[in-house]
Amino acid sequence: MEYETKAGRAGPGNPTSPRQSVRKNLDFEPLSTTALILEDRPANLPAKPAEEAQKHRQQYEEMVAQAKKRELKDAQKRKKQLEDRCKLEESIGTAAQTWNQEILPNWSTMCTSRRVRDLWWQGIPPSVRGKVWSLAVGNELNITHELYNICLARAKEKWNTTAAPATEAETEDVDSSDRESSLELIKLDISRTFPQLCIFQKGGPYHDVLHSILGAYTCYRPDVGYVQGMSFIAAVLILNLDTADAFIAFANLLNKPCQMAFFRVDHSLMLTYFAAFEVFFEENLPKLFAHFKKNNLTPDIYLIDWIFTLYSKSLPLDLACRVWDVFCRDSEEFLFRTALGLLRLYQDVLTCMDFIHMAQFLTRLPDLIPAEQLFQHIAAIHMTSRNRKWSQVLQALQKDQERGSPVLKR
Amino acid sequence: MEAIWLYQFRLIVIGDSTVGKSCLIRRFTEGRFAQVSDPTVGVDFFSRLVEIEPGKRIKLQIWDTAGQERFRSITRAYYRNSVGGLLLFDITNRRSFQNVHDWLEEARSHVQPHSIVFLLVGHKCDLEAQRQVSRQEAEKLAGAYGMRYVETSARDAINVEHAFTELTRDIFALVRSGDITIQEGWEGVKSGFVPNVVHSSEEVTKSDRRCLC
Repeated sequence: MEYETKAGRAGPGNPTSPRQSVRKNLDFEPLSTTALILEDRPANLPAKPAEEAQKHRQQYEEMVAQAKKRELKDAQKRKKQLEDRCKLEESIGTAAQTWNQEILPNWSTMCTSRRVRDLWWQGIPPSVRGKVWSLAVGNELNITHELYNICLARAKEKWNTTAAPATEAETEDVDSSDRESSLELIKLDISRTFPQLCIFQKGGPYHDVLHSILGAYTCYRPDVGYVQGMSFIAAVLILNLDTADAFIAFANLLNKPCQMAFFRVDHSLMLTYFAAFEVFFEENLPKLFAHFKKNNLTPDIYLIDWIFTLYSKSLPLDLACRVWDVFCRDSEEFLFRTALGLLRLYQDVLTCMDFIHMAQFLTRLPDLIPAEQLFQHIAAIHMTSRNRKWSQVLQALQKDQERGSPVLKR
Repeated sequence: MEAIWLYQFRLIVIGDSTVGKSCLIRRFTEGRFAQVSDPTVGVDFFSRLVEIEPGKRIKLQIWDTAGQERFRSITRAYYRNSVGGLLLFDITNRRSFQNVHDWLEEARSHVQPHSIVFLLVGHKCDLEAQRQVSRQEAEKLAGAYGMRYVETSARDAINVEHAFTELTRDIFALVRSGDITIQEGWEGVKSGFVPNVVHSSEEVTKSDRRCLC
């Protein structure tokens, strides 16, 4: 880009005079390559033939013209990007206003309206995201801030008592060992939660908050306890809500049937979910479905990670939040629809891969996933199979399973 | 079409959570030590070619499993289709060593009447000062179950190549002797004479480069 400033300073219409090629007469300082092209040879060498000099000048001018064109294009691109960004910010601003002034005050009447649903699909503005999530997830469990504080106090008590011994006292009490390892696991997993953000790690601003929420949950639901993957869900909530509200949303979110099935690792129920997923997979993407079958690529291989962490580990964080937005609106069904949207988006790539490459691709999705495109692909997924909705398909499979149908046995 | 690998072996890596399964595998497949890594939820996948004799390449398909107890009902479904496994414990964590027996029992009960060729790995051997399990003790346990024992460190790149290569050689010998046979509907061992797919050539060059360093 150096030429630009120098050549630019020269002003318009300068490089035409034939005497131009003599250094002293140049009204700009030629740069390395420019110098070689435009200058005459040193006196001790035979002079450049006029024809050649003319050719060199012409080549040089072409080069400059091309570079200028490129510059112009880049500038246009930058301008477009800037415009897009401003437009985006503006639309987020107006959307935030709409959410704050119109929708949130009239939540119960408006939340199911067509307009709100459409707006919801486009992504909730980050400034109101937490509020909308809280409202949509609800608080069926009636957890209060006081209850959170009680659970937290109990967790802290426990940390203090287990922090002391933990040596060769070989008490082979399964229960206590499990609890202890779960405490250690929480500690370790916190440091492994969104490490690139550097806010949940020890010394980071949200380290203690994440620790508190996970600890309080193990006291609130000792039967579920801490399960790997939870730290990511709690972290995403913390980024959008105050601590106690994050805890309330966390506990209620995990209490949903699909999340309970997964976090309690109810294997047969998980298999039912996978089977339901496959019904819609085959219906929406028959070719890819056949390719997966041929390669023995079962849904557990990629869905476990996606469902457990609600995509927060597998998708870029802003995109994951958009998935959460609609997940809060459409509940579990949307998690599986998103999976199908991802498969649809990458259908062409996946069909030329073998088992291991597909498995690797799906468990480590590309860093850059085009959000709008993904949502278009998700929108193209139909969540009805032979006139049955997701919940109906799932229910039918559950009944089959209770009857001991062999479909789910592997 | 020329096969670029003779066989593909599917290996499973198991052991308590935080013993360093993912780090060991990443050292082996990516040649580097990851300071921070995500906790494995469910299962992660890796692959690499190993040259066990000049010109004889084996493709390893490595299944990295979640270590948390809760996930066992998921991961146990993956034993059946594995021919070999690395069973890791952390030499600085006695409990992870005591659980070796449970891991083996769990694996055996899920693959009967077949078996998995296991290698016992004492990991994090760079942390000698914090050692809680002696080499003799681990060797004795490995011997009792007919396993080899190797001590590794992903951080300092100690014995990582050795561990995977030895296990691959052992399995290869069993395949050659006919003790392990390729079976339809079993993913543990696959013959390499299949049409190649994308990325294969890239992998060859990658692992060749690694072998030099």
